Amino acid sequence: MFELFINMVKEEWRVHSTMFGSLSFALFPVMIFGIAFMGSFLIPLMQTTLPAGDLTLIVHANYLMLGIMVGGFGLLGNEVMNRRFGQASLLAYSARSLPLSEKFIFLNFVIKDTVYYFFLWVLPFGFGYILASPFTGVPLAGALLLLLTLTLSFLFGLCGVFFLSAVYARSRPVLWLVLLAVCGGTGGLASMTATNPVLFFPPLLLNNVFTWVNFLISCTILALLFGIAIVMFNPESVGSEKMYNDSFSPLMRQFSFLPNPPLAAKDTLDLYRSGSLVGQTIFSFLLPLAVIWFFLSLLGPFFPPHGLLFILAVTTGVIASTMYTWVTMFDTFGPYACLPVAVSTLIASKLTTFAVLQVIPATFIIAVAILSGEVAYLIPAVVLGISVSFYAVGIMAWLCGLFPNVLVYDVKVLFVYLILVGIVLAIFTAIAFANPYFALSSVILVIPTRLLVQKAKIRWDSVDQEGF
Amino acid sequence: MPVVLEAKNLIKRYGEVTAVNNVSLAVEKGALFGLLGPNGSGKTTMIKMLTGQTRPSGGSATVLDIDVVQDPIGIRERVGIIPEQETPPSFLTAMEYLKFVAAVRKIPDIEKKADWWFDFLDFADKKNVLCKDLSRGTRQKLMFTQAFIHEPALALIDEPLINFDPIMQDVVKDYLAGYVKKGKTIFISTHILEVAEEICSGFAILHKGTLLHTGPVAELTAMGEHLPSFFLSLVRKDRHV
Repeated sequence: MFELFINMVKEEWRVHSTMFGSLSFALFPVMIFGIAFMGSFLIPLMQTTLPAGDLTLIVHANYLMLGIMVGGFGLLGNEVMNRRFGQASLLAYSARSLPLSEKFIFLNFVIKDTVYYFFLWVLPFGFGYILASPFTGVPLAGALLLLLTLTLSFLFGLCGVFFLSAVYARSRPVLWLVLLAVCGGTGGLASMTATNPVLFFPPLLLNNVFTWVNFLISCTILALLFGIAIVMFNPESVGSEKMYNDSFSPLMRQFSFLPNPPLAAKDTLDLYRSGSLVGQTIFSFLLPLAVIWFFLSLLGPFFPPHGLLFILAVTTGVIASTMYTWVTMFDTFGPYACLPVAVSTLIASKLTTFAVLQVIPATFIIAVAILSGEVAYLIPAVVLGISVSFYAVGIMAWLCGLFPNVLVYDVKVLFVYLILVGIVLAIFTAIAFANPYFALSSVILVIPTRLLVQKAKIRWDSVDQEGF
Repeated sequence: MPVVLEAKNLIKRYGEVTAVNNVSLAVEKGALFGLLGPNGSGKTTMIKMLTGQTRPSGGSATVLDIDVVQDPIGIRERVGIIPEQETPPSFLTAMEYLKFVAAVRKIPDIEKKADWWFDFLDFADKKNVLCKDLSRGTRQKLMFTQAFIHEPALALIDEPLINFDPIMQDVVKDYLAGYVKKGKTIFISTHILEVAEEICSGFAILHKGTLLHTGPVAELTAMGEHLPSFFLSLVRKDRHV
């Protein structure tokens, strides 16, 4: 067990470091550390407008979301591995050549991912905060507790979504029942206690007051979610054949108004048949946004009137931009290399499919505006969210071409992405706070987006598509 | 005969490693040309450069009079390619994949043509199966079909018989031999020397990225040499050097 685990960790490291160079990849956790360390010095400033408890809440929400994003690997079992690793010959595939069961290998794979991303994201952040604590006046015990509760928060996201996605892979109706039960339970708790149920989130409770009982409850819930998910993991049976009648031709006819109907039809079938359209919408879009909405709702008093809607619209835009990774995760450039298809054509086609998918975030923002009684600001909120999404995807296409899932771990790429997106978010959030209708001005982002996409096409056409 | 593929001092470097070193060769129209070499000799890199999948680090090449650097898409429009490792897209069925290829290549009457290939390569029962669920042999049949369905003037095939059973190998060998008789050209890379000797009209031997020999197979036969023994002696000598 341990040998397989260690070799999987080595393998993961080598996959990343081969792509970006050891130094560039090693700098990734250093950058997270730096952000946390420097950010700690801003806490006294932030506390003048935002209580410390709410800051803690935001950080926990972010790590919960990170866990949710990393945790989607149970979604489709082997298919996730296939999509993630392409044709590479990795240990995750070794069930046929080694005397080890697929379930055992998958268990190791999950633990490896958990540990790996803990060291990549969680520990550097906590460590940065701990090292800054002597200078910021935060007690060391408090900083250590934050590291513990952030770890738990990350694990809750990871195990929670792993559990849900394992249920999803087995039975969709059961998944809806589970989600209904969770929503019902949360709603019941809220109405019984007249308190926002987010405050009952175990890592937050633990962060407020550490007790061994709370700690054990957290660990037990995590162990249960993780254990059930592993038991339910269902490796795809070898030799099974899925058959379909031709859906490609009718779809291509329906997409005849788009620039590349065959590529758009293929992308749509990829999304639909892999189960990703529903799965990703739930686990990578709706779930993180629902969590963020919950957490943001606690911060309402600290935003200007209508601020919450626009913060959520901007956040939705950023998360919606990751839909580009949904449409690029299925294929390497390889299968297209034997066809007269340029990389730029493929990028354009993926962006077209991405544009079609934007109906999901638009619908989400409309729903939030209606549910929060702010229908008057529906249009500026939708315009802001969608403009941010297109701008962020333009940056992603320029920086990563067809490989956003992989190149995000290149520290240089992530740094440039964060800066370019961060500046625009700050500007347009401030504009929307000043006057909700000013958010309409975000349509101006179409200009940099267009330029970025043009640059992306030129840049990635001149790069050999092998080696990713 | 006019030359349809020509490489002049072609070089490909990956960092410190030189995968292809100063290779020059020419293939005439109507030839079934075999690029031979042991594993890691640079055969796949050569095919990738000749089909515009990767840019040469030096030298030049033209395929059907098109420069591989200037117009790689133009080359891929006119040739057929079977890469060594690539498989068809996971979530399309075999028939849908061929329709996809036809739409991209603008091939008319695809259903009729596809059905002919399904029957010819004996996989009609798999036409509605998702590509990810196909066996390696069936995927290779599908990749073979996509490369020839538009009847290109030149086909470049990396290991043409890999994954085929002996019966299918025979069918494919016959097809390739018949294809060049129609005036088309085929460029294959392989390390199965017996197959190369059996079907190729011309050959080149590549070892550690360097061209050791190029010429017609008939020349060897006239000297009473066999391709496998000639290849082995040449490569072993080069290893000692």
